[in-house]
Order: sequence, then C-alpha cells, then structure tokens
Amino acid sequence: MSVVETLGGAASGLPASPLVRRMGWRPSRAVLATAAPLALLGLWQAVSTLGLVAPQILPAPSRVAQTFLELAADGELLAAARISAWRLSVGLALGATLGFAFGILLGASRRAEEWLGPSFRAIAAVPALGWIPLLILLVGIDEMLKIIILTKACFVPMAIATRDAWRAVPRGYAELGRTLGLSRRAQFTRITLPSMTPMVFSGLRLASGQAFVSLVTCEMLAATEGIGYLMVWGRTLFQMDMVIVGMIVVGASGIALDQLLRLTERRIRARMGEHV
Amino acid sequence: MLRKIASLGALISVLAGGMAAAEDYPRTIRLGDVGFGFGTPYGVSLQAVADAKGFIAEEFAGTGVQLEWTYFTGTGPAINEAFANKQLDFASYGAVPNIVGKAAGLDTVILASTQGTNIFAVARPDAGIRTLADLKGKKVALQKATIIHWAALEALKKAGVEPGDFTLVDLKNADQLAAITAGSVDAVFGADFLLPLEEKGVAKVIFSSARDDADASGFGGFLVSRDFRDAYPEATQKVVDGYVHAAEWIADPANRDEVFQIWSRAGTPVPLIARSNADTDFKQAFNPRLDGEFQKRYRSALDFSVAQKLVRRAPDLTEWADPSFLDNALKQKGRDALWPERRGNAS
Repeated sequence: MSVVETLGGAASGLPASPLVRRMGWRPSRAVLATAAPLALLGLWQAVSTLGLVAPQILPAPSRVAQTFLELAADGELLAAARISAWRLSVGLALGATLGFAFGILLGASRRAEEWLGPSFRAIAAVPALGWIPLLILLVGIDEMLKIIILTKACFVPMAIATRDAWRAVPRGYAELGRTLGLSRRAQFTRITLPSMTPMVFSGLRLASGQAFVSLVTCEMLAATEGIGYLMVWGRTLFQMDMVIVGMIVVGASGIALDQLLRLTERRIRARMGEHV
Repeated sequence: MLRKIASLGALISVLAGGMAAAEDYPRTIRLGDVGFGFGTPYGVSLQAVADAKGFIAEEFAGTGVQLEWTYFTGTGPAINEAFANKQLDFASYGAVPNIVGKAAGLDTVILASTQGTNIFAVARPDAGIRTLADLKGKKVALQKATIIHWAALEALKKAGVEPGDFTLVDLKNADQLAAITAGSVDAVFGADFLLPLEEKGVAKVIFSSARDDADASGFGGFLVSRDFRDAYPEATQKVVDGYVHAAEWIADPANRDEVFQIWSRAGTPVPLIARSNADTDFKQAFNPRLDGEFQKRYRSALDFSVAQKLVRRAPDLTEWADPSFLDNALKQKGRDALWPERRGNAS
C-alpha cells in the first residue's frame, strides 16, 4: 500500500479488489444508473402515445430507434462519430499536456504565478466559444479551429487542477524525500507525482467534460461534419429524431469517456502504488 | 355568493360571445416571415410590405381581428417549428424549408407564390474565378437545404458544373463571410448580405440571378395551416386579398423607393437594397400566381429535395396548393390582366 492510496482514499490498488467489486455491488449500481433513463423513456413513450406533443417536435422512441439504425447502416453516424472522436482526442491530448505543464509551472514558481496567473485567469474566463468569431477569421473554418477551441477548453481545467494538486502535496512528503536521500527527479516521480494523481485526474475528467461540451457546440456553430453538425442538420431537415439520435450518442460517449478515464486512473494509481 | 354567481355568469357570456365571434373570424391572426437584422428583426419580402402598408389590416377593419407579425431570424426551420407548435397561421418562406416541413408532416396549404431573395455568387479575387464555369475543382460555401442551395445547383448545372465537380461546404451566413475573408473557401453562394464584401475588396460578384438567370432566383410560398383555412375560410380570403393588394402595389415602379425604405427596417441600408434589386422586375418577381410556371419551379425544388435526401418522400403538389382564394382575389379590379397565366413548360 502506498501513501498515495491512503490519501486518495477511494480506490485500493489490490489486484483482487476489482473482481470483488464486480461481483459485489456493481450490478446494483447499474440498476440505479439505468432507473432514471428508463423512467424518462417511459414518460417519453407515454407523451408520444397520448399525442401530447406533435410528432414533428417529439418523435416516438421507436422512430428514433429506427433513425438510429438507418444512420448506423448507411455509415453516416460512424463517419460523424469518427471525426468528432478524432477532434476530441487531439484536443484532449494537446490541452491536457499543455495544461499539466502550465499547472506545474504555476504551482512550482511563485514568479510564474505572479506574472502569468492573472492573464491565465482572464483567458479562462472567456468561454472557448467566445473565441470562435475571432479564431474563424484567423485560422478559417477548417480543423485547426476545432483543435484550438478544444485544446483551450481542456487546457484551463487541467492547468487549475494541476496547480492545486501541486500545492496540495503535504510539505512533510518533501522532507521525507530529502531524508531518504532521493534525487530531485526521484522525489518528483516517486512522491510528488503519485500524490498529485487523484486531483490531476479529476481535472482531466473535468477537462474531458468541457471538451465534450465545446466540441458539440463548436460543431453545431461552425462545422460541416461531426455529431454536432448531424444534430444541426437534423433540425434543418425538421427531423427531430436525427437530433435526438445525436443527443443519445453524445450522452453515451460522454459516459464512456468518463468511465475510460476512471479506469485509467485506477490502473495508474495501482501501478504507482507498487513502486513507491 | 350572489356576486360570485353574477361574475361567473358574466364570464360565461363573454366566453360564449367570444366563441360566437370565432365562427367568422379568430381573435388574432398570426403571420410569420423570414426576418433579418438585430434587435427587432423585420422582413424583406412582400409580407413585410403588406405589414408596413397595412394592406391586410385594412381588410379586417371593423372586425376587431388583431394581426400578429413575427419575423423569424432562424429562417425556414424556425418557421416550421412555429407551425408545429401551432404558433402560426400564415407564413411566407423559401420553397425548400416549406417542402421539408410539409414532408415531415406539417399540414400546410400553399395559397400563393412568393419571391425569395436574389441569389448572388462571390469569389475571392485571387482565385482566378470569373464565371460560374470556373468553379470546377474549387471550394464553394453555401447554406445547405435552403432555396439558395437549390438555386446554386441550378445555375451551376447551366454553366456546365455538376455537383461532383466542386467541394461544397455547408456554412451559415456569418460563417460564409468569415470563411471567404480567411480564404477557407474560394466562392460563396448567398443573398445580398454578400455584396458588402465587394466594397471591402474581399470578393467580387461573379453571378447575380436577377442579372444573369432569373430562373435561378429564390422563390417560395405563402402558406396557411390547413386547420385555419378550414375553420376560417372568410378570414383566409381577406388575408389573401390583402396579400395580392401588396403584390399589386409593389409591382408599380413608382413605389420602388418606398419598398426599399420598408425593407431597410431590417437593417440593410437603402443603397445596398437598391443595388441588390437593380435588375429585379418586381411585377414578375412577386407574381402570386399558382400557375404552370409556379408548378415547374416547385417540381424542380421537390426533385432537388428528394435527390439531396432532404425529405424521405416528396409531398403531392396538387393536393398541397389551393389556388381558390388567390383566384378570387385576382378576379377583382382587373388584376387578372396584371399577371397573365404562365404555362411554365416553355423553357
């Protein structure tokens, strides 16, 4: 067991525990998680069966399911999802890396905080979408625009989380490192970094959420492909079923991405735990 | 207690009175149109003129009927949504969005033909584009699923450019301006909002539908919801009468300047509107007839909508258009002679 895991508190890195969890309380959690969507689905079905809302505005679930299958069959959905996933991956990778580096700079250097902190907070205050009108003139409407918007959207929460994580490392740990005679590098990789992991990962999850919101909005405003564009196109064609398919895909992908990040975090923490 | 009963009685009589009046006319009639400009948007079509000059209002003088005019900046889709929400009785908008709405199950009826916008194409000066034929292999922006999309494909086809010969980029108006300024696209198809680009030296006009090909001008319909038409045929007739009156007024060249003044309420300066319409014959452009020419154009837009997969199946035009109200209106005051029937199969 490592110091870090005791700090993090939530998950233990023991190899047997994921299995135990899967057997134990996972199913009930799955039931809890699906209860709300099922209730919503029931309400939706009831509203369309009773004809409370015009079918052009709220199509029946069966119509949406059929559209989902049609869009999936002709490859349109996959093509849209692929381009969106690509934009998201690049934006997240760039934004998270830069944000992590900048966060460490802000955390480690008081001078950097004094010089760059206020500008950073000003940039952070302008939502990614507020940059679109200016950026579109500077870089055009191509992929560069989306990459910049997404990178910015990930950069901010990641930088803040990293800076706070750095500052939250207890002073005692540094002393421990020095007492053990570890090199600066070893102090960083073996003590500071592991103890920062939980906060950095919650920053990363926040960043991915931000990236998702910005991705969809950006594609709805200034794009010719992607899931967000598919939703705008559905509205243009007055086919709300297409819009709802887009919403479902976005929602499901958001959950999947969050789960993926949680899993990665668990793995990394387990690994780090073994080394410290 | 007594007072309560008395006030209840009063309420019932008011309601009953309201319902009796509703047999002839509704209390309010809601008219929608495509709007432009910031703050309170305004229209740049025949309906905006009918609103400004009170042509429809005067038909209802003394009836107590209120007219409610809304100009939708979300253009076609917003009008379809308002129809679906039962927030509109009448609307004029482009043929493509109203085909999309009808195909999705909106129960509308076409009462008259209406003119859409003049279509312009502009190109970057350094892209080596002089005519539409030069667009082969270029990147062209326009807003898909609009009447401009239809017009662009029509005009390009006549210039020998097929859809596979160029890259089409679907962008909204503001993004089109930014995209051509930033050099992301070589040319743009749109309406008169593109003209200021020429003054700024960002792009030059290579096509104007009014000047080069009137058949590729935008067009649309003046529509009513079927429920309204069936419930209030008399009110429907009055609205169409006022609409045709507006068409007659606009057709008189003496009124051109006043028309531009009315349209400038949408935020475009008068000189620009004048330039945009320099080659437009208003009598022909605002011909309300549902004749052979109307059918020819709508059929073309229907074929386009199916080919572009904008609709799952095309609506039936003969069932959709109802010329009876228009014919009544045209029989009055020698208007029949103003707009002779067009066969529409000549070209």
